[in-house]
Amino acid sequence: MLIALPYIKRDTPIHRLDPRVKLLLLLAYGLAAAQTSNVWLILVGFVGSACYYALARLKWSETRRAWLFIIFLNVILVFGNYFLSGGAIVQGIDLSHQHQLFSLPFFGFLNHPPYVGPKPLIFSVESITYMLTMGLRNFSIAFLAVVIPYTTNPGQIGVAFKQLGLPDQFAYAIDLSFRFLPTLARDFSVTLDAQRARGFELDKLRGGIFGRIARLAPLVVPIVIGSVVGAEDIVNAMELRCFGVGRRTWLTELQTRPLDRLLMALIVALFVLVTALNILGNFYVSGPLHILHEQGLPAFLLR
Amino acid sequence: MATTEKENLSEREVTSRVWGIGVRHIVYMALGAALYGIFSYFTNILQLPSAGNVSFRPAIVIPLFFGAVFGPWVGLFSGGVGNLLGDYISGYGVYWNWDVGNALIGFIAGLVIYFTWGVYRNSRSIVLAEVFAALGVIVGIGFASITEIWLSKLSFATAVVGYWLPAALSDLINGLILLPILLLAYRAAMVRFGR
Repeated sequence: MLIALPYIKRDTPIHRLDPRVKLLLLLAYGLAAAQTSNVWLILVGFVGSACYYALARLKWSETRRAWLFIIFLNVILVFGNYFLSGGAIVQGIDLSHQHQLFSLPFFGFLNHPPYVGPKPLIFSVESITYMLTMGLRNFSIAFLAVVIPYTTNPGQIGVAFKQLGLPDQFAYAIDLSFRFLPTLARDFSVTLDAQRARGFELDKLRGGIFGRIARLAPLVVPIVIGSVVGAEDIVNAMELRCFGVGRRTWLTELQTRPLDRLLMALIVALFVLVTALNILGNFYVSGPLHILHEQGLPAFLLR
Repeated sequence: MATTEKENLSEREVTSRVWGIGVRHIVYMALGAALYGIFSYFTNILQLPSAGNVSFRPAIVIPLFFGAVFGPWVGLFSGGVGNLLGDYISGYGVYWNWDVGNALIGFIAGLVIYFTWGVYRNSRSIVLAEVFAALGVIVGIGFASITEIWLSKLSFATAVVGYWLPAALSDLINGLILLPILLLAYRAAMVRFGR
């Protein structure tokens, strides 16, 4: 059982992007999207991130496992949130005049003892749109997040963090942790096979939850303790080579192209614009400056 | 006067031992992160049997162990970068608030080094490590879950019932059972190797 990193070498615009641009885009988009529940703005973000994902030319067969997990998690979250909040939670939006379509008898949290009891599950134009917005937001973030491991060479991650301003020691530790992966995966595989040969059945652990966890010790202990003891050799080797005494140089340096710099500037500018709009929206009750604080529902739905 | 100087020196030593970052710390940071990533990845793909709704995440013991033995910075790095690495090699992407949450788990678990100096000879030190580990799990998972209220626009109830309680409960059970086993095994290994 060897580990295969998800990185797929290809020549696409996304593969050519500086890793810092990808990380910055993900962070800035996530923080910007969190500032609004306007369905149109989130839809624009969703379409944009879907186009970005398409540019990476990743095939379904390559990303299937990740997407199945993300789809499952998002469906559970979106519907779970709807049911747990009784369809009444739409953050940052005035819900005093909801356009209720229908309601179903359901259970929910109450403000008085016994705190859980019968409560109607409201289906309104606002709450259904909010559910849709939540789904679009989560999937748009996933489009940006999933692209990173498949299009970024793991050898560039440590350098990217270094050039983002992280101290040398931390950046080197990131680099080193990627180098440890193949060795540890091999150790894991060898230990698992050795323990299986002794009758250890990982897939059929018996007993209650506590017993099952405790029975994992024959797998966890040799790998962890063996690695910790073995790492002493690496510590000695690094100390002998005077690691950390002088300024560290890196074999590879990331070169930002004009396009990367332009994209970074655009990302920062858009994030600042969204944040400014969010702050200004608190002082204006209507108009274009209030756009982030509205759901943006079309008029025909509110008749 | 001499006593005061000695006390000052001792204080500096304390600060250095807890907060200093040497070559040893860097290597164990990287090792902790890689182990956390590998265990998260393999326990995901092996689909370990679990009870009810509690997911099986024995990997959480790694940042707790590395924090308790090597200090808060190593715990922070093992948790944060290890979670990033686990998601990265599984192909799930990068989710910064969960990385920060896991970093907090390792960091808080590592603060126990103020009381134990990374040596776990008796039950008192192991209990202390368990207490700090539990605190770390509650705060770290709490941070990641509560930030989801703002980032994913979840309701408070969903963040608590859907994320915080199941994830923290699972991590507490896994971590608190496996941590003393690892600490005792580590102590035995150190004695055997004369360290």
